[in-house]
Amino acid sequence: MNFHVPVIQYAEVLPILIVLGAAVLGVLVEAFIPRSLRYVFQVVISLGSILLAFVAVVRLHGTSHVAVEGSVVVDGPTLFLQGTLLLLAIGGVLLIAERGLDTGGSAFTAHAATLPGSEAERTALASGIIQTEVFPLTLFALGGMLLFPAAGDLVTMFVALEVLSLPLYLMSGLARRRRLLSQEAALKYFLLGAFSSAFFLYGSALIYGYAGTVSLSGIREAISSNAGNDLVLLMGVALVTVGLLFKVSAVPFHAWTPDVYQGAPTPVTAFMAACTKVAAFGAILRLFYVGLSGLRWDWRPMLSGVAIVTMVLGVIWALTQTDMKRMLAYSSIAHAGFILTGVVAVNKAGLEGSLFYLAAYGFTTIGAFAIVTLVRDSTGEATHLSQWSGLARRSPLVASTFALFLLAYAGIPLTSGFVAKFAVFAAAYSSGSSALVIVGVLSSAIAAFFYIRVIVLMFFAEPKEDGPTVVVPPIMTTAAITLAASVTLVLGVMPSSVLDLIKSAARFTF
Amino acid sequence: MNLYIPILAIGAVGFGFAIFSVLAAALTGPKRYNRARLEAYECGIEPTPQAVGGGHIPIKYFLTAMLFIVFDIEIVFLYPWAVSFDHLGLFGLFEMVIFIATVFVAYAYVWRRGGLEWD
Amino acid sequence: MNPANYLFVSALLFTIGALGVLTRRNSIVIFMCVELMLNAANLAFVTFARIQGNLDGQVIAFFTMVVAACEVVVGLAIIVSIYRSRRSASVDDVNLLKF
Repeated sequence: MNFHVPVIQYAEVLPILIVLGAAVLGVLVEAFIPRSLRYVFQVVISLGSILLAFVAVVRLHGTSHVAVEGSVVVDGPTLFLQGTLLLLAIGGVLLIAERGLDTGGSAFTAHAATLPGSEAERTALASGIIQTEVFPLTLFALGGMLLFPAAGDLVTMFVALEVLSLPLYLMSGLARRRRLLSQEAALKYFLLGAFSSAFFLYGSALIYGYAGTVSLSGIREAISSNAGNDLVLLMGVALVTVGLLFKVSAVPFHAWTPDVYQGAPTPVTAFMAACTKVAAFGAILRLFYVGLSGLRWDWRPMLSGVAIVTMVLGVIWALTQTDMKRMLAYSSIAHAGFILTGVVAVNKAGLEGSLFYLAAYGFTTIGAFAIVTLVRDSTGEATHLSQWSGLARRSPLVASTFALFLLAYAGIPLTSGFVAKFAVFAAAYSSGSSALVIVGVLSSAIAAFFYIRVIVLMFFAEPKEDGPTVVVPPIMTTAAITLAASVTLVLGVMPSSVLDLIKSAARFTF
Repeated sequence: MNLYIPILAIGAVGFGFAIFSVLAAALTGPKRYNRARLEAYECGIEPTPQAVGGGHIPIKYFLTAMLFIVFDIEIVFLYPWAVSFDHLGLFGLFEMVIFIATVFVAYAYVWRRGGLEWD
Repeated sequence: MNPANYLFVSALLFTIGALGVLTRRNSIVIFMCVELMLNAANLAFVTFARIQGNLDGQVIAFFTMVVAACEVVVGLAIIVSIYRSRRSASVDDVNLLKF
């Protein structure tokens, strides 16, 4: 029997290794460093490793190689998405590390194991303990996200999916205030997430049964040579698609999104909303553009339908919301539809448009949720829309920044959202799906209405007597918001350098 | 098929021994009936109609069970490695040491944070 | 024995699991149904490995088992924490976030 010893290209998976190694280091810090010092250690390790990993990604620039025996593909889209994820994670970690906003010290419960409202919880709160386990959890999730768009076979994709999901389930349950709501969010996210990943796994099994391999390039060859039973293949593709569409919260697999976005601690929501979507769309792009491109006549109508339903229902539901976090959640569902419009184009323009949209959407989302953490009353964050009326009187700067993010969501020119929407709609039009473009533009118009309604509320309504206060953002939140706002503006005003970068990167290796 | 005959033989021997022991005890033992004989346990704590604590199992059992599941299942990766250890050589050993070290980090966390303390 | 029969069992297990998730109300039972679905996928992987004549499917089953174990631990932690705050594991009681 000839035996092939596997070869691992450590240099090419270095960004993932750095982040996961730092997560393991973070667990050791939790175990051996005294409680008072942990926070400093964790913040330094998290931010340091993310920056280091970003440097590693930049140094890999131009690589196009299938590494680790076909499990990890390091190519343009992988590196672009990994870079984007790492920058977004910097914003996310800054928000998670913020200690100056909540009077209790941080947005996370001091001791997740204590019962809400119990004596033990009060003792834990009074002792001033700051939760620091959330940092290694964030890094584990980030490691999974970095691997997700790079996965070269379905099993690596499944493992990456779980590595990114499991820490997020826990992190959604860690809120310091409204803990029952937060635990509930964690339960819903977990049950539905586990359900969808079971679909993904069974779909992978069926595709393996068809192709005899789980590697995307092998599946591609099997499809082009028409190797097996088409029914098994199509069922497998449908099930795998369910698992992936759940992660990007496309209708009809979106039910968890508003509840989890509302219940989770807002910094976690920011991280999750931005990064999960980027990573999961990266995986979708690779699966459909590489593995299943020979099958496009079968999956394109399906994904186009999902895109249309997602856009339309996302904006209609968002219209009816009265809670800021829920509204942003439904708007994120609608954006998943817009990005799918780029995905179903199945050409280079579609890939480029989707990549640009992901970057633009991610930074805007980090910024928007960062602003939500600033508007507070005595019970914590004031997320009801009516509480935001007249916010511009209290803090013109915060209100204007939030207005910028909303305009970017709405796709108004001179913001990143406009360039992004234009890119995906142009790609969809060039591939002949004009119906999709028409629905997309109409949904954007409806979406613009409710975004601008919030802006009008902030700038032209009378502030409430007992309304919330706008906290002056402490240094870390300021840094995150500045990062998000400047990227949103730069991508809107002079997107050409990033578009050129994407143009040279947008080529899958297999 | 011959390979499986010893397994079947062991099964038959085990089954036969169990039947033999029960029958032998029933036939040869003295027969004195009293109330204690009909209890679930002949000695030790008297069974009560309701379990202690209303039938709830203390959380510490649950924690131990969860730790067991995780550390138990991780071992699964050692089997294929052990089978092909000769071929993988130093590379395989190195990778496996990293894997086990990572599992030990989790163990260190559990130990330091009191997850292994029973009381 | 015809390996396709194993596939039918696996499909049956998967369907039972999926139906269980959709119809049961106790979060522990829902969770057990999810595990059933994962194991159905495992059975399918191993059967397909036999049909296809390569070992990939069997190795994948290992990965699935480990991932499922991690999922069990995370899931039970969440379910136990919510059970302790509410004295109930029913998903119908988890309704603060409905609007």
